[in-house]
Amino acid sequence: MSDYQLIIIGAGLSGLAAGIRAARFGRKTLIVDQHYRPGGLNSYYKFQGHLLETGLHAITNFAPPERKRAPLNLLFRQLQLSRREFPVREQIGSEIIYPCASLRFSNDPELLQAEVEQTFPGCGERLYQLRQAVAAQDPFAELPWQSARSFVAGYLKEPPLENMLFLPLMLYGNAEEDDMALSQFTIMFRAIFEEGLFRPETDISVFLDMLVRQYQSFGGTIRYRAAVDEILIGGGSAQGVRLADGSVITADAVLSTAGLPETIRLSAPSGWQTPPAAYSGKMSFTETISILPDISRDAVRQDRTLIFYNTSEHFQYRRPQSLQDSSWGVICFPDNFAGSGSGEFFSIRVTNPASYPHWHALSSEAYAAAKTACRKEAVQASEQHIGSYGQAIVQQDSFTPLTIERFTRKAEGAVYGSPIKIADGRTPWTNLFIAGTDQGYLGIVGSMLSGISIVNRHLLA
Amino acid sequence: MNREEIREVLLEIIADIDEEADFTALDADKPLRDQLELDSMDFLDIVMELRKRYKLQVPEDEYPELATLNSCVNYLEPKLRDL
Ligand SMILES: Cc1cc2nc3c(=O)[nH]c(=O)nc-3n(C[C@H](O)[C@H](O)[C@H](O)COP(=O)(O)OP(=O)(O)OC[C@H]3O[C@@H](n4cnc5c(N)ncnc54)[C@H](O)[C@@H]3O)c2cc1C
Repeated sequence: MSDYQLIIIGAGLSGLAAGIRAARFGRKTLIVDQHYRPGGLNSYYKFQGHLLETGLHAITNFAPPERKRAPLNLLFRQLQLSRREFPVREQIGSEIIYPCASLRFSNDPELLQAEVEQTFPGCGERLYQLRQAVAAQDPFAELPWQSARSFVAGYLKEPPLENMLFLPLMLYGNAEEDDMALSQFTIMFRAIFEEGLFRPETDISVFLDMLVRQYQSFGGTIRYRAAVDEILIGGGSAQGVRLADGSVITADAVLSTAGLPETIRLSAPSGWQTPPAAYSGKMSFTETISILPDISRDAVRQDRTLIFYNTSEHFQYRRPQSLQDSSWGVICFPDNFAGSGSGEFFSIRVTNPASYPHWHALSSEAYAAAKTACRKEAVQASEQHIGSYGQAIVQQDSFTPLTIERFTRKAEGAVYGSPIKIADGRTPWTNLFIAGTDQGYLGIVGSMLSGISIVNRHLLA
Repeated sequence: MNREEIREVLLEIIADIDEEADFTALDADKPLRDQLELDSMDFLDIVMELRKRYKLQVPEDEYPELATLNSCVNYLEPKLRDL
């Protein structure tokens, strides 16, 4: 008999959600993570007395509890968590800023509709048609790849507007360069423009605790600082895992949320011969987090939750040719959500596209210097849109593609994983499955639904 | 279990799955999914819960038997009679 019915690699959001499902229905389940804390890409750390979140800007797919068909509420039901007892704060409103135009949007899709009508005369009706077409799509139909760029162009016929709308949708959930799969576009369009953005009333640590407690209350076991070194394959199926400390744990099935390149690496000794490079995404980011005293709030905009900006009319969603490209990105105000009180400090986060190979090539001294330089550049770029705050910063931290790779083992720090997704979660072995980012659903809500649906489909049915 | 007990159990399972479930206007002869706005994933949970509680296997091709509250009771009655 095996030690466990199911081993899940990764205590990120997909692994935790998968674990809750399996344990809830009596599967003897073990989650292992290399890190000492749950959350993966969406975790937190303590920095000079402040709790800093590593991933969360805003959770997509906002829906009030009574909208039962909404993905967010389905997610809560599947995990048997009470949506009513999960207090959230909605965004106060966000904006997409390009040199010649800007568009506001909020959790009321009519705001974006009205903004487009006003800014792009004649395009209101076309946007409405596009929204209808998006509503009619089935993004889960596992169809061949289709270009979202040409789909949208067919409706809007207005490249500047198209470039504006693609900026948040790609930045918050596209693993491919340049174009985006129509299915992924549909998911992101609904998640951001139709449903909207929110955050937990407190911080991500409370949400993670809630998930871990739910998993444990169903009898699940979780082990941190337990890196998997190899997925053991024998007789055509997965037998279990070998941890970095040499111990072997056996299981009837293994579910990996570590991403495809890492999963292939872990299974390679036993014969997964696919070169991982094909599954290494190119899109990675730097993020600069600045902490400021409350008194300097008036220096910057307080009426936006997120500002997506681009200093060019063209939008090329690509890995830059330099460490960081601050000509486009997103500025997040974690304190600008409805009902956030003011504390002693507030923070501003700036995320810009970055090149993993450029960061990887640096020596450790050059790395530290490059981080400082990139932070400065990111702050200056954001000041163009929100007012100057550089002089008021009391503390600052940042992460790079290397940081993301180190803490989550996402190859090349590719936040959204592989450009090729494995929608059915299958691998060459009948009892080894993939969930999370590289199965295809992205973001916080997406990765959790991924964990849930793969367990439902392959491990509970 | 008799029909009434089975009915009670079903409503309890659904209430457990869905804290928003409202049975006041539920028509026992109309599809549960539409009336309660349930997803196919929720539906699977009713099956899973029956398995967990009564070791009862519902094969996939018999899921349509569980469409309405009354059809559920009809389907489950012979299977749960001796419990
Ligand atoms: C800067 C940033 C901002 C973001 N902002 C948002 C946002 O505002 N809203 C939103 O919805 N989403 C956001 N995301 C995306 C979101 O965080 C991810 O899509 C989601 O968390 C992915 O979850 P996952 O479980 O698929 O992967 P991961 O979180 O990467 O989980 C995988 C886990 O596997 C573990 N692991 C890997 N290899 C091994 C091994 N060999 N042995 C043991 N364990 C291993 C890792 O430690 C990790 O914990 C953001 C991400 C980043 C980086």
